[in-house]
This record gives sequence, structure tokens and C-alpha cells, in this order.
Amino acid sequence: MIPSVNLGWGRTTFSARPRSSHRLLEGETVMSVNLRLSALCGLVAMAVGCSSPESSGVKYGEELTLAETTRISQILDDPESYVGQRLLVEGTVVNVCEMRGCWLELASDRDFEKLRIKVDDGVIVFPMSARGQKARVEGVFEKLTLTEEEALEQARHQAEEHGTEFDPSVVSGPATIYQLKGIGALIEDQE
Amino acid sequence: MKWRRWNNIIHRDLGYLCAGLTIVYVVSGIAVNHVRDWNPNFRIESANARIDPVPAGDPRSPTVIREILSRLGESSEYRDSFRPDSGTLEIFTANGLISVDLTTGDVRLERVKSRTLLREANFLHLNHAKKLWTYMADLYAIALGLLAITGLFVLKGKKGITGRGAWLTGMGLLVPVVFLWVYL
Repeated sequence: MIPSVNLGWGRTTFSARPRSSHRLLEGETVMSVNLRLSALCGLVAMAVGCSSPESSGVKYGEELTLAETTRISQILDDPESYVGQRLLVEGTVVNVCEMRGCWLELASDRDFEKLRIKVDDGVIVFPMSARGQKARVEGVFEKLTLTEEEALEQARHQAEEHGTEFDPSVVSGPATIYQLKGIGALIEDQE
Repeated sequence: MKWRRWNNIIHRDLGYLCAGLTIVYVVSGIAVNHVRDWNPNFRIESANARIDPVPAGDPRSPTVIREILSRLGESSEYRDSFRPDSGTLEIFTANGLISVDLTTGDVRLERVKSRTLLREANFLHLNHAKKLWTYMADLYAIALGLLAITGLFVLKGKKGITGRGAWLTGMGLLVPVVFLWVYL
């Protein structure tokens, strides 16, 4: 008994018989198989093309719409004046949420400064491998006012994420946090 | 041909077709369920080292960074660097992060390793591919629905949906209801 596999695409059956005795050699059948193979190749090309990164980087979330970037140092000099504004920022990714990829931090153009970018959990997931890569992120700049309890909880959560010991003394009272609520990002090609 | 025969053929063949993707979703589902406890995509390995005091000059200059990398035996080219504070230099390489205490020479190395297969499974399960995969995943979801419905009618008689099957199906439906009642 010669094993055969019916692919369910019409009547063509592929089997282990020698080709000389097989219907595939008939012109019409060979042509229809070629058409099917072409269609399959097209589908594969579409799938690969659709999921592959763009030449300029890997996109996350929505398309970037702003053309001009705002320097992070400029924002941090006077954060209050940017609250509620849609901004495009650029910098090196220096930290990424280790658990869910739900935030990242971009280095400022000035030493010792960084800006936190928060995205909705699961909507955008930044990979750990993005650290050290240049990124452009667009979003709305926001201000969060935390009570002392909320600030403590956040510090505890961050310590957990970084795998460090939680030190409650780092929180001395209510806190104000400025961050960019990220909508879309473009991270340069990751090896 | 009787409807039950068609039902069983559909159930059987969809089962074969969905087996592979179901395994992918099962593995990824368990992995991402516990995202609070671990990173389902990457594994981070940490190590400590100590180097001689960092050469004088701007710690972010390529010369100083290459000297540090050379002392650590790190051969890969670095991507960028960052100074979170005046006493620390962070160097990013393709392998991960090297954090150097500029005053003591203490070094913390973090290597980020991708969880092979699991990361790919999560990529599909969480639909990070988007676009064409979205429709593929929709088809799979519909197929799972058909599998569930046709599964109810595979057997007839005492073990079918009119007998034991009814009780088990009812119990299965109760599970989400009970949890919603408890949590909401």
C-alpha cells in the first residue's frame, strides 16, 4: 500500500508513487498545483512581510504622528508646562519593565536624567532586549499625584521588579510623578 | 449521511488541525498567567565582578568604555552608555547591561537571554504579530468554538449530552459563574 496524503485542495493527491505514473504530469493538474503553490507563496510572503520590522526600527502601538521631537531635558526643566501635551521624545532606552514590558525609561540628553514612558499593560509590550537602543516615543505627558501610601506601594512594586530589597525610607511623603503616557514607539533595529 | 457522523468528522479533523496551536496557547497561557512572578519572554542572569579603578576622564568616552569592557573580557561592541548618577556608569551591550560603580570598581553584569520557543509562543498567543496573524487567530478561535459545540454531540445515549454529558457540561459552565460571583 502506497501512503498518500490528501491536502483537501480539490482532487490532487500527493503520494509516494514514482512521478512517471502520477497524474501530476498531466498539464492541467500541474498548472493547478503551480497556481496553488503560487497562492501559498503569496500568503507566506504576506505573512512575513506584515510581521517583519521596518527598516528604520520596530514599531510598537500606534503610528508616530509628530515630526518634531522635544528634548527630554527641556521637558524636565519645566514639566508642569507640558502636562496634557502630546509630545515626541527621543533617547536611549535605559530600563524596561522586567515583568510585563509595560514601561521603559529613556535617557535624557543631559546626564543623570531619564523620562519614564508608561503604556497600557498588554497593549504595548517592550522587550528587555530594547535596552541600549535608540527609541522615539510619542504620547501624552501626564502628572501623577500619589499619596504617601500610594508612593510606598509604588516603591515596593519597583523594588520587586528590580529584585532589590524594599527600603521604605526612600519615600518621605506624598509624591508627584511626571511621565509620558506612551501611544506609539519606534525602537531602532534590535539584534 | 447522518448529522452525527458529520459532527464527528468535523470534531475529529478540527481536533487534528488545532492540536499544534492549542499546545502553543496552553504553554503560553500558563506562562503569561504568572507574569507577576517571572518574565515569560526573557531570563535575566546576574553576576558580580570587580575591576581596578576606572581610568580618569569622561566615563562615557569610547576609550574608557572599551577599557572597562576589555578588563571584563567582554568582546561584544557596546550599544550606548548612561550615567544614572555621578557614581555609576551603565554600559549597554547586545548581551545585556554592565553597571559599574566608578568609585569602587564593583561591577554588576546582567545578561538578558530570550526564552527560546516560549517567547515565540507568547508572541503568537498575545498577538504581537498583529495584521495577518489576527485573522489566523480569529479562525483558530472559531475552530475552538466549533470543537466545543461538536464535542457535545459526539456520543449519544447515557454518556452523551442527554446523560452524563449534560452534568459535566453544566459543571463546566458553573466554573466561570462561581468565580464571577466570588470576585465581583
